[in-house]
Amino acid sequence: MSDGPALSASDGPAVDERDVAVAVELGEPAAGSPAANDPRGERQRFVLDDAGFDEVPKKYRRFYRKWKGPGDRLAPNEVVCPVCKVVIRSSRTLLPGDRVYCMPCMSRLVVVRNEETGQLEAHVAY
Amino acid sequence: MTDVHDLEPQAFLEEVHSFEFWFQAVEGYLSGTTWGHRPGTADVPMSPEDRDRLVTVLCNYCVGEAAALEGASGLIVIAPNRLAKVFLATQVADEARHLEVFYHRLRDLGVADPEREVERRASRSLQTFRRRLLELVAGKDWEAAIFAQNVILESLEFAVFQDHARTADPVTAEILRGVVKDERRHIGFGENELGRRVAGAPHIRSRIGRIQQELDHLVREALEETARHLGTPPDEHERIGRAYVESVARLGFGT
Repeated sequence: MSDGPALSASDGPAVDERDVAVAVELGEPAAGSPAANDPRGERQRFVLDDAGFDEVPKKYRRFYRKWKGPGDRLAPNEVVCPVCKVVIRSSRTLLPGDRVYCMPCMSRLVVVRNEETGQLEAHVAY
Repeated sequence: MTDVHDLEPQAFLEEVHSFEFWFQAVEGYLSGTTWGHRPGTADVPMSPEDRDRLVTVLCNYCVGEAAALEGASGLIVIAPNRLAKVFLATQVADEARHLEVFYHRLRDLGVADPEREVERRASRSLQTFRRRLLELVAGKDWEAAIFAQNVILESLEFAVFQDHARTADPVTAEILRGVVKDERRHIGFGENELGRRVAGAPHIRSRIGRIQQELDHLVREALEETARHLGTPPDEHERIGRAYVESVARLGFGT
């Protein structure tokens, strides 16, 4: 991340009252999700703040932010959607094989590592 | 579970292809706007030449939006499932709003009879594209029509509107930024729906490939024409068309 109070890391599980609301609504993590791929809870956790992204319902806004251009840097819990170029954020560090969703363009994506750049990317999983 | 990415794939589709999701999404960026922009945003003085160029560009945006409105409404009948029908209904509302705000902007700019002006200034290639799209819809060719509308046309609009918003006057820029936020949903629906179809039935690929070859030059001509009116340098045209090129490439079609 290049600037702004968009997210902060925590050592243990994120404690956020909004998480409780979302948790009640969503149920158990589905297979392929970052949480399901981290059964021992070893990955770094992030408390996501609303970064002003207004294209999805309020309860989902903190999972997305705008890509700020060439000077922008992705955090370990972020990938760019190849379809609509929005930054997708997870409450855990992302790793290859994780499945994430881009709600603004309604795409299902899989995280992969670009062999040339070493960076994480998202590929559309139709 | 505390993360949206923990959703089951089907639950995700049920969530995003719903009017409830659409209501809450558009509320975020349209609330407080009138005719697509904040009432307090002031118009800036414009030379007669700049105004004339903007009118031509907006007329062509109206042709594209009218095509998308007619196309999306026709597609609801042949959509293969409930979620696609509901999504297309939200797209119809989006396209109607786009058409309305662009027409209103034309009146703002002093165009007394926008319908007549749109007819007079419309790009020939865009009109041909519109006719062909509606033929595909009338022929009940779901894959080809979705490709033409939600992949080709929407990608083109997404790229052009985004680029235009960077240099447009404040009122037009706000209108365009709101429209682009809607277009994100439309291009995503098109690419994902078609991607699923092609993955499940590879024979569709050759048919879509032929449609792409047929429509590709119309898209490029429309892009060139609009970019010229916007005063975009020729070497920038390729950059604007990249969203379209990348989208068809992900689906496995060359350009």
